[in-house]
Amino acid sequence: MGNKGTRWLDSLIWIAGIAVYLFLTIPVLVIILSAFSPTDYPQFPPTDFSVRWFAEVFQSEQWMQSLWSSTLVMIIVTPLTVLLGTMSSYALARLSFPGKGLIQSFIMSPLMIPQVVLGVALLYLFSSLGLFGSTLGLIIGHIVICFPYVVRTVSVSITNLDSRLELASMNLGSTPWQTFYRVTLPLIKPGIIAGAVFAAVTSFGEISVSLFVSTPETITIPVRTFGYIDQTFDPSVNAIAVIFIALSVIALVIIEKTIGLSKVM
Amino acid sequence: MKATRQKKFYGVLLAPTLIFLGIFLLLPLIQLLILSFQQVDNFFEVIDGYTFSHYIEVLTTPVYLKTIWQTLFVAVITTVICLVLAYPAAYLLVRSPKRWRAFFYILLVSPLLTSVVIRTFAWIILLAQNGLVNDVLMKTSIIDEPLDMLWNMNAVIIAYVQVMLPFAVLPIATAMSDIKGNLRSASMILGSNRISTFFRVTLPLTIPGMISGAMIVFSLAAGSYITPLLVGGRMQPLLPLSIYQQIMQVYNLPLAAAMAFTLMVLVFLVIAVLGYILKKWEVRVNG
Repeated sequence: MGNKGTRWLDSLIWIAGIAVYLFLTIPVLVIILSAFSPTDYPQFPPTDFSVRWFAEVFQSEQWMQSLWSSTLVMIIVTPLTVLLGTMSSYALARLSFPGKGLIQSFIMSPLMIPQVVLGVALLYLFSSLGLFGSTLGLIIGHIVICFPYVVRTVSVSITNLDSRLELASMNLGSTPWQTFYRVTLPLIKPGIIAGAVFAAVTSFGEISVSLFVSTPETITIPVRTFGYIDQTFDPSVNAIAVIFIALSVIALVIIEKTIGLSKVM
Repeated sequence: MKATRQKKFYGVLLAPTLIFLGIFLLLPLIQLLILSFQQVDNFFEVIDGYTFSHYIEVLTTPVYLKTIWQTLFVAVITTVICLVLAYPAAYLLVRSPKRWRAFFYILLVSPLLTSVVIRTFAWIILLAQNGLVNDVLMKTSIIDEPLDMLWNMNAVIIAYVQVMLPFAVLPIATAMSDIKGNLRSASMILGSNRISTFFRVTLPLTIPGMISGAMIVFSLAAGSYITPLLVGGRMQPLLPLSIYQQIMQVYNLPLAAAMAFTLMVLVFLVIAVLGYILKKWEVRVNG
């Protein structure tokens, strides 16, 4: 079936589509290529294989300190964001009141507000509160940024939840809290896990706000990376980049196993 | 009875979030808005009294006007290129066999999980004077001298498109997969060929996905400063870069605040217009 004209069109679309996916992938391939290259600037085709940049990262006190800062912030930000995000998305899904739409847009607004504006606003607030340059400031900033991602994944799970199960539980005499804990929570667990992964990865890679509110003592990995790219060229950034890519792959696997990749946007 | 107890419970769940975001999202924005109407002395202390002078400066000085236009222009170009490239990518995602689909999803979502610094860094390796593209072009003797591809607006747009493309592909793909296959078959049975089926059925039904994608890409492209700083250099006339410089180098916080609100209002205006078109279109298509 199908005439020649449409087959020609089909292959055109496929070629265009594959070209687009290549364009998306090229930077990742380039990073991996350079990280294992022994020369300062990567060459194509690669001449040799080396792990010297990884060794340099793990021997550098500065990189290790930033790695610690980033990890610490991520470990605190993730559970707090997940807790706040889960509570509020559940409440918003079950409540209806005038102005609900406004509150929903407010909660999701960190996605739409220009990042530079958020950074400046938090910088100014933290200066007046004496939080500028503190780890607490970084944590607060990261929670604001990560919050919408958790709300989005948890909301997907709540929408798919049959609310009659909750009604049944309450008709059988459970309190709202017991119902939430014993019925709702286990059912929306995949959304919560995916949200936690999103929050962790977003916090670990966050730069736009961090750059404004961090000082040399609290510098995170992305901020230090930014500094190295911006001022001096340090090829060990290549190795850092591979670490980031490896983390994103792990995150991908967890998201796919929980709510599925197609549900995240 | 039961209902009020439930309502109270939900209220208790919602309250911490509203308090947190009230203090750390709404309050700083209000503070910044007030600051944009104030002035500072030589010691960066706020002086009493309010003024429109910063907004007048931003909206009348030729340098800043050019910056505003350039910011909008770059964001629009990025959005348009993203939408054009997103269409075939979304098509492949939706119409390919299941095993391939997972692969395409990985390619689309993994950039979203990688820090923007890292993704931008890749473009420096590619486009630098001694970077990969020049390296390959010189070795194959296509060029004799390395090309200057970094530190200009084209580099910014290329990096932007790559960084933001997934945000355009995913909503278009969702809209496409919602179209029922028999709708297209019906159109073809009724005598339309594939091209007119595309323009009369597929395209109109995916417009909402395109608009949602455009909203995200536009607001990201208008508001980012990391990517332009790294691949475009500090001197590019872009509003987020000017804000960054006013704070980090000039220390003029009130002027930066006025620029920040100008930027935010512009972004929200564009999003509002797109949202209005989206609503109108959905009414027209769905009745």
